[in-house]
Amino acid sequence: MSHADSPSSLIRIEVDGAAYPVPAGITVIQAMWRIGRSMIHGVGCLGGVCGACPITYRLPDQLASKTGLACQTAVREGMAITFLPSDTSKKAIALLPKEAPTQKTLFQYYPETRRCTACRACSSVCPQEIDVMGGVRAAINGELSNVAEKFTSCVMCGLCAAVCEVQIKPHRVGMYARRLTGAFYPKEAAGLLNRIEEVRAGKYESAWSQLLSADEAALSNYCGSEEAAQKLAI
Amino acid sequence: MSDLEESKKLVSESRAARMKENRALLSPQDKDALIRRFHPDYKKEAYRTIRIGPNAGEQTVHELANLLEGESPVAGEKIALTPHHQVDLLIIGGGGAGATAALMAKAAGAKVLLATKLRLGDSNTVMAEGGMQVAVSAEDSPVRHFLDTLRGGYMKNDPMLLKTLVEEGPEVAKWLMDIGVLFDREADGNLSIRGGGGSSKPRLLRCKDYTGLELMRVLKDCVLNQQVELLEFSPIVELLTDGAGACTGAILKNLDNNQHIVVQAKTVLLATGGIGRLHIQGFPTSNHYGATADGLPIAYRAGAKLTLQDTFQYHPTGAVYPEPMAGILVTEAIRSVGAQLVNVKGERFINEMETRDAVASAVIRECAEGRGVETPAGRRGVWLDMPMVDIINGEGNLAHRFPNMLRQFSRYQIDIRKEPVLVYPTLHYQNGGIQINVDGESTIRNLFVAGEASGGIHGRNRLMGNSLLDIIVYGRRAGRAAAKRATEISPGTLTLQHLDRFHEAQKKAGVEPKAVSPMLFPDYAKKN
Repeated sequence: MSHADSPSSLIRIEVDGAAYPVPAGITVIQAMWRIGRSMIHGVGCLGGVCGACPITYRLPDQLASKTGLACQTAVREGMAITFLPSDTSKKAIALLPKEAPTQKTLFQYYPETRRCTACRACSSVCPQEIDVMGGVRAAINGELSNVAEKFTSCVMCGLCAAVCEVQIKPHRVGMYARRLTGAFYPKEAAGLLNRIEEVRAGKYESAWSQLLSADEAALSNYCGSEEAAQKLAI
Repeated sequence: MSDLEESKKLVSESRAARMKENRALLSPQDKDALIRRFHPDYKKEAYRTIRIGPNAGEQTVHELANLLEGESPVAGEKIALTPHHQVDLLIIGGGGAGATAALMAKAAGAKVLLATKLRLGDSNTVMAEGGMQVAVSAEDSPVRHFLDTLRGGYMKNDPMLLKTLVEEGPEVAKWLMDIGVLFDREADGNLSIRGGGGSSKPRLLRCKDYTGLELMRVLKDCVLNQQVELLEFSPIVELLTDGAGACTGAILKNLDNNQHIVVQAKTVLLATGGIGRLHIQGFPTSNHYGATADGLPIAYRAGAKLTLQDTFQYHPTGAVYPEPMAGILVTEAIRSVGAQLVNVKGERFINEMETRDAVASAVIRECAEGRGVETPAGRRGVWLDMPMVDIINGEGNLAHRFPNMLRQFSRYQIDIRKEPVLVYPTLHYQNGGIQINVDGESTIRNLFVAGEASGGIHGRNRLMGNSLLDIIVYGRRAGRAAAKRATEISPGTLTLQHLDRFHEAQKKAGVEPKAVSPMLFPDYAKKN
């Protein structure tokens, strides 16, 4: 076995100051269940993508606290765990503009973004290892698609906003930059637009009327043979 | 060297030969035989007859039957049915379908209240990795999409629901892009598409392997921007009816103070999602924590008919190792770009692009017949040979396309670019659900349903990428139809008469409820 995993051995963790024995090799959420807590807050998809379960924890041999997602963090000997509320940052009512965005569009809703002191705290807490500060700097430079790319894997846990000393909401900036980039994508999806036109123009109407009036045997035949499907002129 | 390491070595040794191997799809007869022998849907002892209600006499799994025949949490409670909220449309569930419906209804001018068990966005939607099927390429068409889905669903799909799904696909893709969903694109601007199991043409739109997260982030942002009234941590515990067959509201429960919340609504829309956390037949699940099928027993008690309530999707490739990842999905898309399934001896045993039910059955067969690999925790699985992705498509391809997968395994020091991982089927999706028409209305007047809680669109087996499409197409349709209905009617009286009738039926059939339903959460906490 190249990956240590001995579920039988017990380790000690600390939750809200109290110590508990739990099996090694389980996640923090699983440890909460083991110590008898039925979780309602601080739990979500259990797959690392919903951002409901941010935690901060300290290990015995380390000075600095770390952050993570409880469903994605394995318990360690002596780990002291505190659950944080999921994203409590203030959300601007940031609608999409009518015209293509400019460098200033983001700042309209998130003006504090420009105050970034490049302290890197946001990047250091991100459970997704996003280059958060790089994203904020790119936003300041008006590089929207670059911001969008950097925040692709953002789970909106809000840890970055919680540690920002100048109240930037990097995940919300990333979100808005992504929406602006998507809605004002520089090139048309020609195939999609063409297909929408074809549907509107009734190109498939005769196929639909044949299919929807077919009995199960006839439908089966259309499904089973490419030749029969071709006859529908699709 | 352990058996596991030894078998892993066989996987890398057999790789070169396997890459040249061309394995045909199974004949319909062989596929049918495989599924009947090994698919969990055919395990008779896992099923029983439903004794009361609209589907009495039909079969489903014990876990669901117990909930359908279960006791209401408000039975015997004295609850004053004086509304705390009066709205046009009450939406239950804050996943992709519920959020989409809320946007449509709000835009139509309806007074909307969205109540959800956890937070807005907590759902299976956020976890969807593979993509969304829309026929956008020139050699493809909505008709092909229809035929593929019908074939995949064993001809049991409702043809009209399915036609509407595939035909509106292109239009809803455009809508999503207009509100800022960033799908992967080709250099010429066209949507980047990929193949999926059971689909004759590539038609999966995606955002890396974060497609559901991308959709949910944007929809959630829109719902917040539109200032839809929200009640989080407030699941539904019972519907309210007028005693004459129409739905008129619901009773919710605030999980933080245990108080009931009575809502009078002209229309109610259930978008309560899936069923994975029932752990049917003891399977692990890929589903989120709240996927406990809440909408089903609630609608059933009020008299709504279910359809295809006996069929479930077991996704072929749920992780079985390391132990904390058990049940977590490894996206099917990874097979569509070359990853192969391999048994303990390093042999391939199925064409990886068969439909999910066939691939899952083949994995179960390998393990049942002694060709599986055992994990230290005693689970069984087969190898998913992911390093092949980079060998076939070039170095860096896997990391670029599947950053989520790479990150999840790397947290346990497993580099999926270099080594295979162990997988086994995981309970993934409820193929059936509450019967609906093309407007998303159930057999109960003014009760609408959208998303995984509904049934009929996918037949007996859903194709990959059709559920993200389903939640958007039917979220929109149900949201619009429910909002329109609300303009045509007045608020109804609030009663629990359907419960009285249900209790009479229980008594008459001699049914002793085995559970209180809805379940709301799985019971994982250790009792001291």
